[in-house]
Amino acid sequence: MLEMNLQFFSHHKGGGSTANGRDSAGRRLGTKIPDGGLATKGAIIYRQRGTHIYPGVNVKRGGDDTLFALADGIVKFERLGRNRRQVSVYPVSEAVAK
Amino acid sequence: MIQAMIHYHGDLITAFELTGHADSGEYGQDIVCSAVSALSITTTNALQTVAGVIPDVQSDSVNGGLLIVKLPAINNHEQSLKAQTLLAAFELGMADIAKIYSQYVNLKINQ
Repeated sequence: MLEMNLQFFSHHKGGGSTANGRDSAGRRLGTKIPDGGLATKGAIIYRQRGTHIYPGVNVKRGGDDTLFALADGIVKFERLGRNRRQVSVYPVSEAVAK
Repeated sequence: MIQAMIHYHGDLITAFELTGHADSGEYGQDIVCSAVSALSITTTNALQTVAGVIPDVQSDSVNGGLLIVKLPAINNHEQSLKAQTLLAAFELGMADIAKIYSQYVNLKINQ
């Protein structure tokens, strides 16, 4: 006589598998030189996707929207209009005067 | 998918084979598996308890997914009649399940 087992024709527990479970590595986005920090020419200030922050004085936007310094100086995160932000680099002399 | 085969010799069913897993749901929620399990296990046990026939049974109780039941030669007419009635009911049930859940059960009749 067979023992009644309603899951006799079912894959046993743990037999299943999932097609999920993959993820890409984190892109380490965000601020690389904080406000008031010292930037050298060409230094990356902010990594982003799209323009969370816009390029300001002495700052340019790269192909992947990365913001980098065009000159040596102090980094300043500023408001841009009503609800936007920009980042600028002011040469030390200028930065002291501000 | 469950592969079901019912073997005939003339007008008499002589054996049935069930292999594979239904995979219609997670373990414990696989309704097609439970329907086929209930039907086939009950038929196998009833051949012995109701018809008084001791079939040759091959099953994999560890992994499941394998049940082969063969009738021995039956001399007693009443026993044979009861056994065929049980197997005919089994075939009817399997055919209905296979019709509704065709992506989980495949039924073949070997005449």
